[in-house]
Amino acid sequence: MEQQKGIVEIVSEKVWKFFSSVKLAVVLLIILAIVSVIGTVIQQNEPPEKYLQEYSAATVQLFEAIGFFDMYHTWWFVLLLFLLTANLTICTLDRFPRTWSIITARLKPIDDEGLKAVPFKKEIIFKGGMDKAEARASQALQAAGYRYLVSGGPGVHHLYSQKGAYSRLGVYITHTSIILIFVGALIGTFFGFKGFLNLAEGEPSNKVFLRNEPMWDKITAAFGIGEQKVIRDPRVGVPSMPLGFIIRCDNFEVDYYQNQGIPTGMPKEYYSILSVFDLEGRPIIDQRRIVVNDPLTHRGITFYQSSYGMIPGASGKIVLTVRPKNEASPGELVVLDPGASTYVRSIDRTIKAVGMAPFGYRDPATGQVRFLRSEELINPTVELEVYKGKSLLYKTYVMKADSGEPAMPENYTIRYDDYWGARYTGLQVTKDPGVWVVYTGFILLCIGPLIAFFGSHKKIWVRILDRKGHASITVAGSANRNRLGFEREFNRIAEKIAK
Amino acid sequence: MDSSILFGIATLAYLIAMVLYISYLAFRKDGVGLAASIVTYAGLGIQTIALLMRWYESYQMGIGRAPLSNLYESLVFFTWSTVLIYVIVEYKYKTRAFGAFVMPVAFLALAFINVAPGIKADITPLVPALQSNWLLYHVFLSFISYATFGVAFAVSLIYLLMDTEERGPVVNFGYAAGALVVLVPLGHFFAGAGMMLKVFFWIGLGALAIAWFVYLVVAGARNKPQVYLFWSVCVTLAAGLLLAMGIDFLLYEIKGHLTEESFRKHLFESTFLSASQPVVAFSWAAVLSFFWLVWSQGMRLKAILKQFMPTQELIDDLTYRMIAIGWPLFTAGGLVMGAVWANSAWGTYWGWDPKETWSLITWFIYAIYLHARYVRGWKGTQMAIISAVGFIGVIFTYLGVNLVLSGLHSYGGME
Repeated sequence: MEQQKGIVEIVSEKVWKFFSSVKLAVVLLIILAIVSVIGTVIQQNEPPEKYLQEYSAATVQLFEAIGFFDMYHTWWFVLLLFLLTANLTICTLDRFPRTWSIITARLKPIDDEGLKAVPFKKEIIFKGGMDKAEARASQALQAAGYRYLVSGGPGVHHLYSQKGAYSRLGVYITHTSIILIFVGALIGTFFGFKGFLNLAEGEPSNKVFLRNEPMWDKITAAFGIGEQKVIRDPRVGVPSMPLGFIIRCDNFEVDYYQNQGIPTGMPKEYYSILSVFDLEGRPIIDQRRIVVNDPLTHRGITFYQSSYGMIPGASGKIVLTVRPKNEASPGELVVLDPGASTYVRSIDRTIKAVGMAPFGYRDPATGQVRFLRSEELINPTVELEVYKGKSLLYKTYVMKADSGEPAMPENYTIRYDDYWGARYTGLQVTKDPGVWVVYTGFILLCIGPLIAFFGSHKKIWVRILDRKGHASITVAGSANRNRLGFEREFNRIAEKIAK
Repeated sequence: MDSSILFGIATLAYLIAMVLYISYLAFRKDGVGLAASIVTYAGLGIQTIALLMRWYESYQMGIGRAPLSNLYESLVFFTWSTVLIYVIVEYKYKTRAFGAFVMPVAFLALAFINVAPGIKADITPLVPALQSNWLLYHVFLSFISYATFGVAFAVSLIYLLMDTEERGPVVNFGYAAGALVVLVPLGHFFAGAGMMLKVFFWIGLGALAIAWFVYLVVAGARNKPQVYLFWSVCVTLAAGLLLAMGIDFLLYEIKGHLTEESFRKHLFESTFLSASQPVVAFSWAAVLSFFWLVWSQGMRLKAILKQFMPTQELIDDLTYRMIAIGWPLFTAGGLVMGAVWANSAWGTYWGWDPKETWSLITWFIYAIYLHARYVRGWKGTQMAIISAVGFIGVIFTYLGVNLVLSGLHSYGGME
């Protein structure tokens, strides 16, 4: 009784066949390569005004409809990536069983039929009997690092060996790695988010503004199920999400490259000091310093140092340290507003911060203090007046990076510490639970091709036949990669046996 | 003595090596070949010392970073890795025949960097995002892989030339030249005629080029004259681009930086995009005549080369080996390490910025190469064509993106 194939079986077979073809993979790769070019020529994710400057209104409309302005996230581009992954998965599933059976198959001694199919062969007549010949062959194989099996009967000995069978897995490792990267990326878009947070010095926050919402929340929101974490406040315009803890920026600082002790305005490093508290205000992380390339992670949410800027219209506090000259003492911390004055008890003087400039420097030649225009706090410089009671004693300048020595006529020094509260730190905030899947994929992607290209499944057979007291030796070999290299190895082994 | 003097000596060594390798091809004296090799080794050694010294100098200046981060340094490093890989190939394959092709590239690249003052040789400090150990690994491995792809490209072009039996009828050249003659004024017209037309023109041109590549890959092995045409186009393209950009650099410097705009805005302005019509016409005429020269004289070059070249199989195998080494390095160093670094700096391992996308495109092309070889068992002509197209992708990833498009990877640019 032959069973008729149902329509479902026929279709699924066809679909399977379609997806398991390498042709499809190559076609998809070509299409992806071509389509990707578009997104590099048309700038992505720019504001609409910019596009209208560059293209006509009709073009903008057309491109908008196709999705050329955010091409890599359009449904059709994601579909292409998805098809490639499906193709890879099914190709892998389709071929793997066959490969696995080749890997695990027991090597058999070679017969005449097998000899015909083997690419490398050598016939040797050995004058010295079969046992001696076998000893020779086993020595040669062992010297080349082959562990061999032996079998045989009257008048025939077989030695056979294989190496690197598992190198056939290299291509599967490579393909699996790409599947993993894709899966990891999907986990990231579904359960992770990308956001940002601008925190002024001293400002805490319990939420983050979102650039990309978690897809999962979007879906549950569309169906009206599940708990909604994303807050959409029409007054703010940007969706936000509670962090589940509080993050505070304690301090922010930029160090600039210096030329002869004077900052050049090119940032060398910028960093934020961040503290984390739980929602009740108990401290969890105290004053962690984060820089570009070295973020802070708490409960799966990572804060990256990304940018900084001045808070418009904000005025900071000047922080100074006053210390006696000839005494080891931490000194007294003085905090005052620009333009204000304060009485410093330890030296019995009143210090007035007359003015505050963002970029001052001391001319190395003359010792004069000069100022440059700047929007940034490149080298904050404070002009100070020191009073005893009501009478002015002297004026001086203190600054962040001083190429000389500020005038300090009395037996104490005043040091510039900080201008605090006028700047904000720009933090990139992300949560990506898929990143470890992606990284696993990355590691496999580095290993897989090496195994696939440089590993080789090598087989060597030695058959020894009795020819009237002499031994007739046949050496045969095959390799699935790097045939030229194997040929050299094969010839060495054959020579060693013949010698 | 500082590194720049040593770089000068290395440039000179490469010049001498280039002359020696070419005379080796012409006179076939083994002594000349040996001398060429020795000079190359010496040049490579000196350049290695120079690179290390530059690294050391940056520490002395208090900046302290590997010499891999601006266009000057990356071009120097690219030259270094190309020569290194060439030396390895020469040693492994026991043939000096490729020297006459690789050394001119090394010499021209170094000389070009030295002559063009637009490329700053100063050791400049790094912006914070680039201060990472990943920079060293990422750029180092990327450039080694670029160099292997470069050697694969050169070898593929030799293969394609060797593969040609005859250059085919003049009609062939006529078609190609005709296409240029029609497309150039058309492109010139559309470039000024509103965005819509311009976009469609370039998309159409791109589609045509891709269709041609696909045709060559699928049916190229049967249509050798077309392959020869492709070879001529590749040679013209490589030489023409280098030359035009060189002229741009020099004129840009002579005219001085009148505006604060970057060099990339002025690319090809002194040749193909010049404001003066005669200059444009002359540039295209020059390209056409160079193209004709290459196309008509290629067979003569082949006759000379034939006496030196190893077998076709060996050339094909060399191309494959270069790609088999380059592709995993590019995967690990270019894509994976770049992604890990981006993730540690910005929290995104993949952002589809133009450089990332172009490196992915390049990666796809070489992936196609490897699949065609492993699964379909392709060899020879078609593979050489894919390899050549792949290198066009590499060039665009390396230079095109920095000069033409914008993105996060601006460190290689001209500002």
